[in-house]
Amino acid sequence: MAETVEEQEIKDVDLVARTQAGDPRAFDDLVRKYSPRLYGLVYHMTSNHEDTNDLLQDVFAKAYRSIKGFRGKSSFYTWLHTIATNMTINFLKKRSRTYNMSLDDVDNGIHHDPDFIEMTSGPDARREVNLKELQQRLNEAMMKLSNEHRAVVTMFDIQGMPHAEIGKILGTSEGTVRSRLFYAHRQLQNYLQEFLVN
Amino acid sequence: MNTDIHKLLRLKRYEIPTPDYFERFLDDFNERQRSELLRQPTWNLLWERLVGVIPEFRVPSLAYAGVAAAAVVLSTFILVTQKDTVPSGPSLALNDPRPTVNVLPPGSGDLRLPVSSRSEFPPHYVLEARPVSYESPYSF
Repeated sequence: MAETVEEQEIKDVDLVARTQAGDPRAFDDLVRKYSPRLYGLVYHMTSNHEDTNDLLQDVFAKAYRSIKGFRGKSSFYTWLHTIATNMTINFLKKRSRTYNMSLDDVDNGIHHDPDFIEMTSGPDARREVNLKELQQRLNEAMMKLSNEHRAVVTMFDIQGMPHAEIGKILGTSEGTVRSRLFYAHRQLQNYLQEFLVN
Repeated sequence: MNTDIHKLLRLKRYEIPTPDYFERFLDDFNERQRSELLRQPTWNLLWERLVGVIPEFRVPSLAYAGVAAAAVVLSTFILVTQKDTVPSGPSLALNDPRPTVNVLPPGSGDLRLPVSSRSEFPPHYVLEARPVSYESPYSF
């Protein structure tokens, strides 16, 4: 049975306390638990697997070094996501404008996704979609956004986080998150017009 | 919210690394942590620990505490040094049961500076063995 958010947070509090007391295996459990989610956050902001791997190592290393200072004012989840977002944005500011995208493979599960099915085979389907081409165009469109807008789109549209949570992670108001999303969606709509059903 | 663009962007979540990536990631992370620990000098480790702990403190309260501690140390130091250097006050002298002793040897006379006894000139003090005199010289 899936754990509720509260149960997960209680588990996190225990793992954090054990890590603070010097148990490195507790931190391994936190890495196991959060690396897939943080990987997604960093990967969708960088569009590069190798950069994501290096950044993720740095993020967990920084979290491990700073965990003694974590007092639980926010959830561990929020705290860790804040570290990852800030480090990724700093990295992107320094990254050369000429970089290569290094994209992960698209999981076969996409063929069973209702939205993908609707887009490719429904009555409103505009065109035959080449999966590789779609992936390429989605990533190109994302990289045209500013780092801050891309962060919001990644967390809201791809990772499904609520506005309030995103606001806490970015240290902005919910209103700012909503307005960034609105602006980013408008930009993306122009770039991805040909893939949109309606 | 733009639903179409939201649905399209959601498809990006199918971009994932190979299944064994995350197990390897943890091994790589542990290996890197160990090698970094071996490479780092001790002062650097201590500094990082310190930097990790400092954000816990609220800066204003820390500043007040520092200033208060410095003030206490400074005032204690001043009090201690004054006690060592300042002579006893009059109350101590009053309580001293010992009789007063004249420290001057007998016949040494008055402690007042010697004054010239010549009446035709204003009185003047003898500061050294040779008297300072306002008398006009005998010759020249």
